Amino acid sequence: MAASVPILIERHQPSDLAALDEAWSDSSTFAFLPEKSGVAEEWIRSSVDALPDDLRRDHFALLTSGSTGRPKLVIGNKRRAEALAGLLHEVQNSEPVTMTIAALPLTYCYSFVNQWLWARRMKRRLVPTRGFAHPDEFRDALRAANAAMLCLVRVQLPLFHDVFGDETFPGVIRVHFAGGTFPQAQLGEVRQRFPSAEIFNNYGCAEAMPRLTVRRAEEGATAGDIGLPLPGIELRTPESGELQFRSPYRAVAWFDDDGLHRIEDDQWIGTGDLGGIGDRGHWRLTGRASEVFKRYGEKVSLPALLETVQTSWRGAAAFYRERDPNGEEGHVLVVAPRASDADIRSILQAFRSTHPRAQWPLRIETAGALPMLPNGKIDITALPTLDGKYVSWRQRL
Amino acid sequence: MTNDRDKLRELLLDVFLLSPDEFRFDLTREEIDTWDSLGVVSLAVGIHETFGYHMSPQEATSLRGIADVMTLLSSKGFDVGQSG
Repeated sequence: MAASVPILIERHQPSDLAALDEAWSDSSTFAFLPEKSGVAEEWIRSSVDALPDDLRRDHFALLTSGSTGRPKLVIGNKRRAEALAGLLHEVQNSEPVTMTIAALPLTYCYSFVNQWLWARRMKRRLVPTRGFAHPDEFRDALRAANAAMLCLVRVQLPLFHDVFGDETFPGVIRVHFAGGTFPQAQLGEVRQRFPSAEIFNNYGCAEAMPRLTVRRAEEGATAGDIGLPLPGIELRTPESGELQFRSPYRAVAWFDDDGLHRIEDDQWIGTGDLGGIGDRGHWRLTGRASEVFKRYGEKVSLPALLETVQTSWRGAAAFYRERDPNGEEGHVLVVAPRASDADIRSILQAFRSTHPRAQWPLRIETAGALPMLPNGKIDITALPTLDGKYVSWRQRL
Repeated sequence: MTNDRDKLRELLLDVFLLSPDEFRFDLTREEIDTWDSLGVVSLAVGIHETFGYHMSPQEATSLRGIADVMTLLSSKGFDVGQSG
């Protein structure tokens, strides 16, 4: 009987990094998981133990649930991931970077490859922090930064203001965003906070392990502009409109509730995003396949609406889908933390000036905080029944 | 206590997302960019919720501006005053 696949748990202890380093150096496949994943331990154990022989060496497994909440254990190849970390070093002009500050769990595919594996391969220092869960520790790391790289997700941005006030961190020279919509509307704020930094929009998905495209902030004008594919990566959009990729760096397989799915070399893999090619060969996202729909004949793109909300609202925001009393598909906006009447008016004016009424939300609801998945993304499925929220505005239909 | 005129003003601000600065009781349909087909539905629902009067589709679509809304409500006994 084959030996059990080791499972490493990220406990945010100094020993994590040593254990990870050892597991990577060993030829055995290992899984690296968050302490609280929200996924049944038995499911994870039975999945990794069901790995076929050829995937039990030289591979690694990370857990993802995307924005759907449906768990997926993605299997990557160590050599491919190292090659991608090396490529990112070149494309992101990381040679001057001496250290990287982790503000996200390293179990995220994004921080795992972009930070932990990059630091290992390029012999740079990784400074582990627990991000805003321990803001003092995070602030100390940012203050001590010297030519540092930082990897963030957009939802962290309001926390910088709330927790660190106007403090700036000139020791950070690269700021990356991934794992959601690029904060194009907040670039001024990011530049003020990190005055020495080059800012990058990184696009990909766990199956890409994880990167497909990279663009510098100044090379595009909209959040949906994801730039050019990395060398060796192909993108296409078939009739369905879903962006698909082929990549030499991609994952080799994944487990979900239906079992193991292998990815073949010539296979086009769906990203779950809708998109197409635009000016200068840059690719553009128009929404998640599940986030674009028609309402009274008008195409509604929830990511585009979110971009509008972010022009007037600094807090967190998310949409969930709901049918209106006429049976038409619609959407409800939830904002957090508590929005004042003036905030709501400001959001509504942004809708009015940018979108036809059919694209306005059915309601704007206000909550103390948005529910989060273990992977740091907003738990959309929990929004309809969120405790303590109230209606700040509604369409009369 | 809020009178009918104030209630109507609040409703129109809310339905058409008008700012208090731009609001006038003599605004015409053409002057309100958000007075579209769904806006008509929204206005009709709002009138019903606020005043208890159920507008017919013909009444709702024939409105040419806020003055017509006031004329209609006045004819139903609501004290919304004049548009001027």
